[in-house]
Amino acid sequence: MAYLTQLDYVKYICSCGQLKPITSLYFCRHCLKIRCGFCICHEVDSHYCANCLENMPSSEARLKKNRCSSCFDCPSCFHTLSTRATLAQPRQPVDPAGGDTKVENKQPKKMYYLSCFNCRWTSRDVGIPDQPVASGGWPERANPFATRINQLLDYYKAIALQEKQEKLERERKKFSIRGKYITLTDKTGLTGAMARNIAGLPSNEAGSSSAIANFVASQASEEVEQLPDDIYTKEVNLKQITSMPQRLASPEWQPASVARLHPVAKLLSVKRSQRCRACDHNLTKPEYNPGSIKFKIELLAYYHVPEVKIISHEPVKPGEKTALLVKLTNPTGHEMQLRLLQPEDIPPVEDREEPRSIEKSLERSLNLEKDASACRAIERPPSYAASSVVATPVGALTLAQRDDAAEYDDDTQHDADHIILWRKSNKLALRLEVTTDASAADGAPASTAFAIEYSYRNTVPPSSTAAHHRDHTLYTTVLLDLGKVHA
Amino acid sequence: MSYNIKIQPGGTVCEDCTLEGDITIGGGTVIHPRVTIIAEGGPIIIAEYCIIEEYSTIIHKKSDKQENPPKPLFIGAHNVFEVGCKLESPCGHVGESNVFECKSFVGVDVKIGSGCVIGAACQLTAPQTLVDNTVIWGSEHHIREALEKQPSQLLQLDFLSKVMPNYHRLRKPNVHKRQPSRQSQESSPKP
Ligand SMILES: [Zn+2]
Ligand SMILES: [Zn+2]
Ligand SMILES: [Zn+2]
Ligand SMILES: [Zn+2]
Repeated sequence: MAYLTQLDYVKYICSCGQLKPITSLYFCRHCLKIRCGFCICHEVDSHYCANCLENMPSSEARLKKNRCSSCFDCPSCFHTLSTRATLAQPRQPVDPAGGDTKVENKQPKKMYYLSCFNCRWTSRDVGIPDQPVASGGWPERANPFATRINQLLDYYKAIALQEKQEKLERERKKFSIRGKYITLTDKTGLTGAMARNIAGLPSNEAGSSSAIANFVASQASEEVEQLPDDIYTKEVNLKQITSMPQRLASPEWQPASVARLHPVAKLLSVKRSQRCRACDHNLTKPEYNPGSIKFKIELLAYYHVPEVKIISHEPVKPGEKTALLVKLTNPTGHEMQLRLLQPEDIPPVEDREEPRSIEKSLERSLNLEKDASACRAIERPPSYAASSVVATPVGALTLAQRDDAAEYDDDTQHDADHIILWRKSNKLALRLEVTTDASAADGAPASTAFAIEYSYRNTVPPSSTAAHHRDHTLYTTVLLDLGKVHA
Repeated sequence: MSYNIKIQPGGTVCEDCTLEGDITIGGGTVIHPRVTIIAEGGPIIIAEYCIIEEYSTIIHKKSDKQENPPKPLFIGAHNVFEVGCKLESPCGHVGESNVFECKSFVGVDVKIGSGCVIGAACQLTAPQTLVDNTVIWGSEHHIREALEKQPSQLLQLDFLSKVMPNYHRLRKPNVHKRQPSRQSQESSPKP
């Protein structure tokens, strides 16, 4: 909860150099590195409507312009509209005792209209007739620029096709220059266009080029409609005029008067999955069902990396030593060995460019088509200024594995140690000493950084090819916010 | 302060509410428990078929230029005061079929027509007049004009007046003759 409601006092350094709280970090079990939203691939898994929870594949979503066909938003305040029922014949309530005479021929029929519970806008306000069915059947307004938009779409599709063909052509030429490899089309002496010719099909290129040739670009014109004469004299009734957000919510019509507001089809939401850019493994993958908030894969740093929390600290004063109490938690199911280091003492990652097997290099060459530059993560050294230095205790600390049952017994073990304050199942409180630089200015933000070396047991089932290490020693750097320097 | 509470037949008024001063409550009106109605500046007249929900407060404020005898605060029929709303008014007239949503506040010098909606947590403090069918909503107090009055809550009133006696002690209606009301009776009386 503290992570949601409070400032991020403890930040971890992601492998890309970003500083993030542990709750917004991921941990790739294959690279054994911390990843964040900045350095991973975000992919759209499925489209769904947040109101009716209907989900659909992306092709269908594109066809429906990423909007739900049965749910609407209020055009006035953008809240979701609700369907309300009324009886069609608003007759006087018939006295149940003596009203039998004229009831049977006209059964009151249920009719439905849309209503907003927030601003009380209703579909009746703009004269949309009530519907006999609860969902669907709402009149759709035609887009006045539909033909022009279709023209543009055709034009850009043709251009995209042409560019794709040109690229293919270039690719083919490159290969033929190299002359070493025989491509499939070379071997058969057949290109796509030739095959089309032989089969008597209309040439693909001709179709696209005609679309390009016949396209008329729009012309800007200097002459615009004159303003109405009474524009400066007519009294403005703001209740009749729509606001900019209201107009932009339906860009096709951009109604200027509230009488022209029309229910806006609800925009679809997406479920995302996240993928490590370095190894292409999924970091998170949600369940497909839009009603479920669970994940099939959920590699969050919170479950793999030791968590650091500040318990309390004395005010930071320049040139003085300050006591700092932190809590370390081992979230994994294995015992963890920890050691605190200075951030600069982390051994540099040796580039383990092992002599790659033939298989690997082949795989690489096959993957060439996926533009490698697009999926490479940008990494940069983290930038942070720590005003204070933590005196890191020598010697390793052992943290027991997480034990959900241990929550219920509360016998805190007090190790009579000058560093360890207390110890409770997988948690450990440390008393650290922070030395602040004498030159720190009053009121400047006080912060300190330390690195943690921790043992990590990988539970990924070993792959057949690579030699598998189960136990690893990993490093992470945390940055602690200690408020402000008090001179 | 004198206590002169008149409850007309068909009014459902819970005992657990603070009613002070000269108050008239119309038939068919439902007043939930923990409601505060204080008529310190003059009588309050609440017409028929209003719903006043829990923790709402209606105060007829004392003012310096008080007439003698004090003018009443008249609240029209079919008004809904939702949970925790507050209406302060020196005297005057609140129309009918208005909705005061939860935690809304209407200060003195606000004149309210008919069919208005004061949205949840909206605060009206500046002197102003709300014309009929004005809807105010949101933290930015957007204003809109509705086409028609808010639908009446007759079903809800029916339900409340049936259910309320089962769970709450009620004040007994103490006026047996219908007082001459300034408003014409436009809603059909319940059988
Ligand atoms: Zn990152
Ligand atoms: Zn929907
Ligand atoms: Zn709305
Ligand atoms: Zn990875």
